[in-house]
Amino acid sequence: MHEIRCETPPAVDLSQVRCVRGRDVIASQYAPYTADESKMPGQGAEALFFPASEAEVAAVMKSMNAEGTKVTISGARTGLVGGAVPFGGAVMTLDRLNKPLELSHEGGEWRVRTEPSVTLTELGDWIKKKAFPGLKERGSAATLAALDAFRNDGKTWFYPPDPTEMSAFLGGTIATNASGALSYKYGATREWVRRLRVVLANGEILDVPRGRYHASPDGTFVLVHGDGSRSTIRLPSYAPPRAKKNTAGIYAAPGMDLIDLFIGSEGIFGAITECEVALAEWHGTVSVIQFLPDDEAALDFVLALREGLSADESLRPEFCEFYDGHALDLLRAKQQANPKSLDMPPIPSDAGAAIFFDVKFDPAAGPEGLDYSVLKRVVERCGSTFANSWACYERRDYARFKHFRHALPETVNATIGLRKKTYPTLHKLGTDLAVPDEHLKAIWHLYRDTLESTGLEWVAFGHIGDNHFHVNIMPRDPDDLAKGLAIYKTFAEKAVAMGGTVSAEHGIGKMKKKFLSVMFTGQQLEEMKAVKRALDPAAILNPGDILDM
Amino acid sequence: MRILVCVKQVPEVTDVQVDPEKGTLNREGVASILNPFCEYAMDLALTLKAAHGDVEIVTLTMGPPQARAALLRTLEMGADQAILVTDRKFAGADTWATALTIAEIVKKQGGGFDLILVGKHAIDGDTAQVGPEVAEILSIPQVTYAVALELDEKRKNVIVKRETEMGYEKVRMKLPGLVSVSKGANVRAVCSFEAVLAARSKPLRTLTAADIGLDAAELGLQGSPTQVVKVFPPTVKTAGERISGADPEAAAKRALAFLKENQFV
Amino acid sequence: MLTVDLAACDGCHLCEKNCPFGAIVVVGKQAVVGDACTLCGACLNVCPTGCLTIERKRASAEELARYKGVFIVAECRERDGVIEPRKHVLELLGKARGLADKLAEPLKVLMLGPDDKPMNTDVLFEHGADAVIRYRNKLLEHYATDSYTTVLSAIIAARKPSIVLLGATPDGRDLAPRLAARLRVGLTADCTGLDIDDAGQLVQTRPAFGGNIMASILSPYTRPQMSTVRPNVFPVPEPKHGRRGPVEEAEVVLARGVIRTRVLEVETLKAAGDEGIENAKILVSAGQGLQNRDNMELVAALAEALGGKVAGSRPLVELGWIPHTLQVGQSGTTVSPDLYVAVGISGAVQHIVGMSSARRIVAINADPEAPIFKVADLGIVGDALQVLPRLIAEVKEAKGPLAA
Repeated sequence: MHEIRCETPPAVDLSQVRCVRGRDVIASQYAPYTADESKMPGQGAEALFFPASEAEVAAVMKSMNAEGTKVTISGARTGLVGGAVPFGGAVMTLDRLNKPLELSHEGGEWRVRTEPSVTLTELGDWIKKKAFPGLKERGSAATLAALDAFRNDGKTWFYPPDPTEMSAFLGGTIATNASGALSYKYGATREWVRRLRVVLANGEILDVPRGRYHASPDGTFVLVHGDGSRSTIRLPSYAPPRAKKNTAGIYAAPGMDLIDLFIGSEGIFGAITECEVALAEWHGTVSVIQFLPDDEAALDFVLALREGLSADESLRPEFCEFYDGHALDLLRAKQQANPKSLDMPPIPSDAGAAIFFDVKFDPAAGPEGLDYSVLKRVVERCGSTFANSWACYERRDYARFKHFRHALPETVNATIGLRKKTYPTLHKLGTDLAVPDEHLKAIWHLYRDTLESTGLEWVAFGHIGDNHFHVNIMPRDPDDLAKGLAIYKTFAEKAVAMGGTVSAEHGIGKMKKKFLSVMFTGQQLEEMKAVKRALDPAAILNPGDILDM
Repeated sequence: MRILVCVKQVPEVTDVQVDPEKGTLNREGVASILNPFCEYAMDLALTLKAAHGDVEIVTLTMGPPQARAALLRTLEMGADQAILVTDRKFAGADTWATALTIAEIVKKQGGGFDLILVGKHAIDGDTAQVGPEVAEILSIPQVTYAVALELDEKRKNVIVKRETEMGYEKVRMKLPGLVSVSKGANVRAVCSFEAVLAARSKPLRTLTAADIGLDAAELGLQGSPTQVVKVFPPTVKTAGERISGADPEAAAKRALAFLKENQFV
Repeated sequence: MLTVDLAACDGCHLCEKNCPFGAIVVVGKQAVVGDACTLCGACLNVCPTGCLTIERKRASAEELARYKGVFIVAECRERDGVIEPRKHVLELLGKARGLADKLAEPLKVLMLGPDDKPMNTDVLFEHGADAVIRYRNKLLEHYATDSYTTVLSAIIAARKPSIVLLGATPDGRDLAPRLAARLRVGLTADCTGLDIDDAGQLVQTRPAFGGNIMASILSPYTRPQMSTVRPNVFPVPEPKHGRRGPVEEAEVVLARGVIRTRVLEVETLKAAGDEGIENAKILVSAGQGLQNRDNMELVAALAEALGGKVAGSRPLVELGWIPHTLQVGQSGTTVSPDLYVAVGISGAVQHIVGMSSARRIVAINADPEAPIFKVADLGIVGDALQVLPRLIAEVKEAKGPLAA
């Protein structure tokens, strides 16, 4: 079915919706709503809406659409590309839509339905404790029965997408198809979304369960509006890039599910008011930081792992993260200045690179349940041993290891912060490029050889298992910055030429639009705009994000 | 030289929620860990082992079968063998009955121990009593609140740096003796994956009441001179005034007003 | 009773030399136990062959009833050349006075110290003691587990009180379990509540699981009933000036040989006469929210402006920003000041139990969810580094130039 009927929500008068008006008031008292984690300077907003229900969201959209006021949707504002930064118009924050709505067991999996502004930390907590605030009182009989069964099933569940920033809202992570380290095993957010409710720019609502609406063979969806009129969405003709992770541009594929059009669309097609996601069963893991002789060994590790796992997937790590030699040097310097700074023993002096991975592990198992020979061989082939590693499997240690992983980007940011005092225009240059498997070595060698020859200061880390490095160039002065920017562009072009993406996980927002043209032709960009026009004819939603209308 | 490190498995206390009506602990989702002070005791044992080489470290815990996990952690850290003392007959033991059971086991281990290390206290029970009670039952001296220790040349004495209320002191104690430990390594130990795997092949024995030879009347709840008669939630102080979102200037002004109202200024 | 395994005894005389009551003599090559034995257990600790054992039977109700009196073990400090009880001893006196009155039994204080300095016993009577039992010996110049255990177990075994209370201070918690084990009696640690039930038993209440739960505990079968009691929980009673009572000298033998430890070096972090944070009226206490060691200066400045002292949470001790002597909480000092300002302290339960009895609590923390706010009289959600400089300036201004 490619036709979907739009719902008309109960009418709410806009005056019922809590609202703050006035650019100055918003700038002084509600400043957080005018910025996000990208630190991109915006231009503030004239009005700030706090809808408390789906109907109120619809009322705001309908009114803004009618008067032609642009609306920037505001979630937890943890994005890195300025998606939530307003340039005038209104901001609509979904802060108040933060309740769990339903727990169900469907299609052989547990599913949780919530309002959009539930943080990943909260969601994780509810699932871990098997207690959802207010659901017992509010939930239907079916939900109550499901809650009981959930509590008593004796298993531990979790919601796999983990974009590191756990204060992000679930709705925001869906709108951006967030991914992170765990995507190595579990894929991006897209894989876990089962149903969405989306309020469109005209105030109508779409209820989209996965599996119900598929594009017609000629690549269209049809919206049937409340007044009986119809509008047609013609999907772009391109196919997704071959790199496993991608957040660049609008998702399009033959026969695609309608829900996938909204996932990762960065809110330019509508505001998510309800989301249903699936849970996975949690099993114990051991977290390992495996030290290796050099960067080349880390690449070999990933390749050997792919080969080793091809026969037996059971030892596939949850994630596979990389720290290059420069990154370890940066952390060593931090440890030398203050041995307790990283809350870890000294990084071994002979380590020239490190791979972090989590792999299935039962602490209570006897020796027979502990066959890690596949991994052991992989490590040994790369010139190291399990003895030259750090491992943990307790919650308090996971937290410590996680902190250690985060220490690198934090140190990079702090270093740049200091340099900014001398050169205010300086900023970090972080790449977010990913390529298909077969180009892992090629893209790394390109990065390394290019950067080493320029004398720029740089580190690399990130999702090596998905061929997705975060290369961070740390300019020392404006000259370095200019050099770095030029290099970044060439990296993006090469990655796309290899079948990769210019934005594997950070999205496009307002800050990475220039890279879209590296990846897409003018014709393809026009196709995206046609989709936008079908869903938001007046182009009021999230102006400036992804596309310049 | 043989060192015995007595350890305890504890819930991560910060997580523990109490049912306000029943006054019982809700342990759902609460992780069990090796008591941090016991880990410090391991740290000091390993320091001696590193300095002197021929040191055998045996760890011991009394608890439910799951307490094995705490022993595994000690084996990962570098203990040579471990003893799990577990039996339903030990349930409900207070500090005396626990100390008596542990002391009896220590007596039964051939060869004796030159040094017994324990944590200053367990973060759940926080009695700090079992260590000194074991020392008394074994008739050996004790030094509490250690932060560092070394052996003298003849290994007849241990020199302990301990925390006091006024600062620190160095104390010499004749061996065999017991030391309770207040502080360990600067940074918590991290084990290699190899150590984690190898720990699971090291000797870990289980002893039950039958192996000890104490009268049943001396074990567990029956052997405990103290008896818990009531458990209830603490009276919680209610939160007072709250200022959020104010600018620092206004917050400081309100704080000063509060200090004045209460005649601190 | 005390029995001697005659086959194992080699007649070394150590038990004879170290018996506090002279109850053991070595005849020929073998120890013989006399009638003066109180089963205090001191000999077991010095016997090299392990030939001595004490067998105790569970006491009958009649036997238990023979134990009378509430005893407090007074931890002392030397001040200006005089041995004086510490403040918590006076708190204990106030509480124990009530217990003794309920039982209609006398309240006595055990006071130990060196033999060359005067002891201030008057203050004990003024705060409620009926009698003081004193023991002075040059070996008691410094606290040592072995010497104190030997003397106290001997006195207690001989005098059979029904209750023995000690302060839950570091030394008190070093000594009490040793003493209880030697007497083979129950011991409840770190009590915050004490009462007498209808059957005349001591009801000991203490927090467990870091203060998440309270437990009431009895010792039904053994006497004396022993507890360590947390300082700064009970108030110091109003002294009755001029109230006096008898001071008895205990007759106990203490030999050097029982002391198996020796203090080699003392490193004092507190200035002489500094009582530390335990008795401070105003404390400004710092936590990890300060982010940076340099910011401790702000905390010190506020403490100075308020006329209080600096304290801190356990993580700061671990970071080395403050010495352990300034640590508030479960593994540090329990404080009960009039004003407690918690700066950048999130308030783990282990911290809260150490300060929640403060009269007024002000908390400044950036995290609105921080548990410290649950006990604060005034909670400021905000960046302590922003608020502190302004508050210091305000306080200084309010106090005026005279204060500065």
